[in-house]
Amino acid sequence: MPRVQVQDLVVEFPGVRALDRVSLEFQPGVVHGIIGENGAGKSTLMRVLAGLQFPTSGFVIIEGCPVALRSVRDSISQGISMIHQELNLVDELTVAENIFLGKEIGRFGLLDKAEICALAEKSLARVGAQISAKTLVGRLSIAQKQLVEIAKALSDDASLLIMDEPTAVLTEHETADLFALIRQLRESGVGVLYISHRLNEVEAICDTVTVMRDGRVVGTFERGALSPAEMAAQMVGRPLGDLFPAKIESPRKKMVLKVESLCGDPMPLDASIELCEGEIVGFAGLVGSGRTEFAETLVGLRKKLRGKVGLFGSETKLQSVRASSSAGLAYVSEDRKGAGLILPLSVIQNVTLPNLDAYAHPFLDAKLERKAAERWMQSLSIKAARPESAVMFLSGGNQQKVSIAKWLERKPKILILDEPTRGVDIGAKREIYDLIFKLALEGMACIVISSEMTELVGLCHRVYVFREGRIVGSLADDAITEQAIMTLAAGVAAA
Amino acid sequence: MKKWVEFFERYGVLIAFVLLFVISAAIRPDVVLKPENLKNLVNQNVSVGIIAIGMTLVIITGGIDLSVGSMLALSSALSLLALRKAVGDHGSEAAASLIAFLVCVGSAAAMGAFNGLMVAYARIVPFIATLVGLVGFRSLCSGIAQGGEIRSASDTVFPALGNGGLPVPFLHIDGGGPLVITYGMLLFVGCAFAAGFVLNWTKLGRHLIATGANERAAVYSAVPTKRVKFIAYALMGVFTGLAAFAQVTRMNSVASGTMGQYYELDAIAAVVIGGTSLSGGKGRIWATVAGVLMLGLISNILTINSDKISVYYQGAVKGGIILAAVLLQRSRSE
Repeated sequence: MPRVQVQDLVVEFPGVRALDRVSLEFQPGVVHGIIGENGAGKSTLMRVLAGLQFPTSGFVIIEGCPVALRSVRDSISQGISMIHQELNLVDELTVAENIFLGKEIGRFGLLDKAEICALAEKSLARVGAQISAKTLVGRLSIAQKQLVEIAKALSDDASLLIMDEPTAVLTEHETADLFALIRQLRESGVGVLYISHRLNEVEAICDTVTVMRDGRVVGTFERGALSPAEMAAQMVGRPLGDLFPAKIESPRKKMVLKVESLCGDPMPLDASIELCEGEIVGFAGLVGSGRTEFAETLVGLRKKLRGKVGLFGSETKLQSVRASSSAGLAYVSEDRKGAGLILPLSVIQNVTLPNLDAYAHPFLDAKLERKAAERWMQSLSIKAARPESAVMFLSGGNQQKVSIAKWLERKPKILILDEPTRGVDIGAKREIYDLIFKLALEGMACIVISSEMTELVGLCHRVYVFREGRIVGSLADDAITEQAIMTLAAGVAAA
Repeated sequence: MKKWVEFFERYGVLIAFVLLFVISAAIRPDVVLKPENLKNLVNQNVSVGIIAIGMTLVIITGGIDLSVGSMLALSSALSLLALRKAVGDHGSEAAASLIAFLVCVGSAAAMGAFNGLMVAYARIVPFIATLVGLVGFRSLCSGIAQGGEIRSASDTVFPALGNGGLPVPFLHIDGGGPLVITYGMLLFVGCAFAAGFVLNWTKLGRHLIATGANERAAVYSAVPTKRVKFIAYALMGVFTGLAAFAQVTRMNSVASGTMGQYYELDAIAAVVIGGTSLSGGKGRIWATVAGVLMLGLISNILTINSDKISVYYQGAVKGGIILAAVLLQRSRSE
């Protein structure tokens, strides 16, 4: 009997079914890879197992018994630990203190530091880390921190380790070390759930691979059954015609934006792009490849270290969002809840925020503001109870439309959309795609940053591919295929 | 049912204030309902009230200003020094008073701007940045006065401004003179309306709210958050200057060590009782005014009944009220 099983897991968010009757088994001593596009449901599955997300229905079964994982603590006590992508360690504490955080050893409220240190050294030795338990975590490299996280999980007697993109932050050499450790853990009977976009690595390390798509399991395959190219095909496997409107050729006549060797801190590195009126250009690349950093540097949210920005034929500096938005550039953030919208404020207040001057004569005209919000709610079919409703009560798709509307309100000539369909249901996705096409047809130049390759293939006239802060290639028209993008983005030879 | 919850949520402070007032009036109608007592209730809280209005704006941005009590004392002291010099130079008390007013508000505005620079541009946490002023401004004030008192040089204009006002027809005080609504009270009302207007009907007001609700999103929406925060603290200075002038004209002297002491705490308490969230992003001026009156009413009741409860327990009662207000708001938001 497998130690950990999930059965008919369903997780629903407003408007989205993130997991749709997922059933899987995780065997001890097996490295189980999970792959899929962004939004396929991988991270939701992990969150359920880690106790961060309670399922709408379905079960997590451990040793044959259904368990309720309502907190990280619950999961850890059941032997499931997660190594997060953004490592969850306290920089100001020592390695030993971090490993025993929340389960300090001692009596009468006093810490037994010697005991903690000794036990920590033992866990560190298990992962082969050459670190003193007394070192402050803040002084460690990212790879070392990751080892500490794994040591921490092992000290919790984890029998299933969930690793979310563990190599995203590692060098090649460090990756090899990590793989050696994973193999060693496998020998000792620990199960590993390995989530990654890097298909070559998945092929190298995983014994079993499960492909997910749209919240469902497409299939589970034994090692060697799929090549990386076949994995990619399984991940996508959706006819594009249903989801995307028919492409319209871009005239590519009038260049509106020309960026030369833009450098930011720490990214992008020497990135150059061109953009024409009515053109839809995609930015592809893995998470952390510098796509968002490029956009944020361009519009003045981050400091420009070097590079030239030519806007409508004349060179500009664009040192603040204020400057770039006045110049006709708008950036819709990928972080809708943290940066794109102010959740407790109303639809009206969100829509008019970047453009308040238009409503201040010199005092704010509440009627005019309300009319603007109503107009956008109608033209983008934003479903909200009232224009006065706080945007936090809207579904993901409707929130996204508000975050686009607030910038369309400024009538930009260049619109940058960062992950415009993340956390958005299929129906709203199509509406957003239609909107992008309509805007382009009206002459607006659009940049679409996306981790969903289908989206880039279905929408864009041209695609720039980012890797490690640089633009490593560009594709146009029929040359834009998922395979071509993935090859450039991951830096591997085509399979 | 839900309507009631909503109603209570909106007007909780007012309901509590009215309730408390009715109860106290029922117990001692002879004292509480006397026009003179009602006037004192407001008049004694003019300075804290004006400060609390400014504090509401600062707290809406997610900040706090601990320096206001010391700022009030220092700007009052500077104002009296200017007055003495001006009276000595020109002899005209009216002109000198105008100069004193300008020095009072100007110096406080400058101190507020200093706080704003520290918070917005030097990026020091508001609590610490304004703690600097709390300690520093007080010390400067005591230093100027050599630890003692600065006396006014105005025998007519200051008292007239501080205690005079618009007489209310038909109402008289115990001594027989007419009951007046003081200029300070009018200033308080004026400040409340001005701040409420700024908050609800201007770009700046919307920017204050946006900055406090989610600073990052505000930055991404082209809101100049640094400037907005700077302006909030500078405005706090202006309000403190006005409060200082109301107080210094009423007292006609500055006790360097104690003037304005703990005003920052009373003002913050009033804002909190009014339901403004200390994490920023929302707040209402009228609710702060109600919070000020609520605190004033509690002092008033306790003072009236000082034969039964010692005045020394006022702080404990106030503390209890603040705690109750915060707990009530939390249970509402959950």
